Amino acid sequence: MSNDLTITIDGAPEPRGPYVHARQHGALVYVTAQIGRDPKTGDFVKGGFEAEFNQAIDNVEAILKAAGSSLDRVVKAQIEFVDETDLDAMNRIYGERFHEPLPARTSFGAAFLWKGARVQIDCVAALD
Amino acid sequence: MPGAHRGVVSRRGPQPTGSYPHAHIQGNMVWVTAQAGRDPGNGELVVGGMAGQMDRAISNLEAILEECGSSLDRVIRTQIMYTDRADVEAMDEVYARRFQAPRPVRTSWGVKFLAAEPGTELVRVQIDCLAAVG
Repeated sequence: MSNDLTITIDGAPEPRGPYVHARQHGALVYVTAQIGRDPKTGDFVKGGFEAEFNQAIDNVEAILKAAGSSLDRVVKAQIEFVDETDLDAMNRIYGERFHEPLPARTSFGAAFLWKGARVQIDCVAALD
Repeated sequence: MPGAHRGVVSRRGPQPTGSYPHAHIQGNMVWVTAQAGRDPGNGELVVGGMAGQMDRAISNLEAILEECGSSLDRVIRTQIMYTDRADVEAMDEVYARRFQAPRPVRTSWGVKFLAAEPGTELVRVQIDCLAAVG
């Protein structure tokens, strides 16, 4: 397949750096790591880790939808978070949002994230 | 060859210091090993802090991509690891200059440390990528 499209949408937080929201290439769509910023205001949502992680997944979901994919077609997810005490909440929310067939996943603690974000998530998903 | 996969080591990138090639080509995609700001001539870290290291690291990616029949403008995805949160603006400034539209998707995060460099400046950043070939 020769399609190669960049995608940046209004329904996810405006990029605050030199990147696009997603790239379609071949049968896959690649999504830039999303943090818990409200797409309307661009600010972090209030409510701590859980609110941030849910919003980050909402942002990924909106981008995937615009790209012609969805959370249930995610092949691989990668999560970075800064506080190890958030691990249980991360796994619980992830389990609420992602369903069978679950993606392969890599997650780890980062020393810090952009502008004090507590968590971020990126993914690769199928288009078909 | 379509469907073939192979590792690539370029004379134009800093020579690998471990068990990895510069890149691995599979089908029409190339996966490039994370590059730091090392001079391909002597293998040493360039001076200039984040800006100097980031620029050199991207030049190393560019040389490796070209060896693989790809280029910076065919990069689909990058990952950046960096050691100091105060470096984020310098990182973005160099990145924005080197990656023009169509820009890749990107994931970046802070790490505790990168490769140790006794006697020289610390490695402040590394960047890897996935790109289309041909």
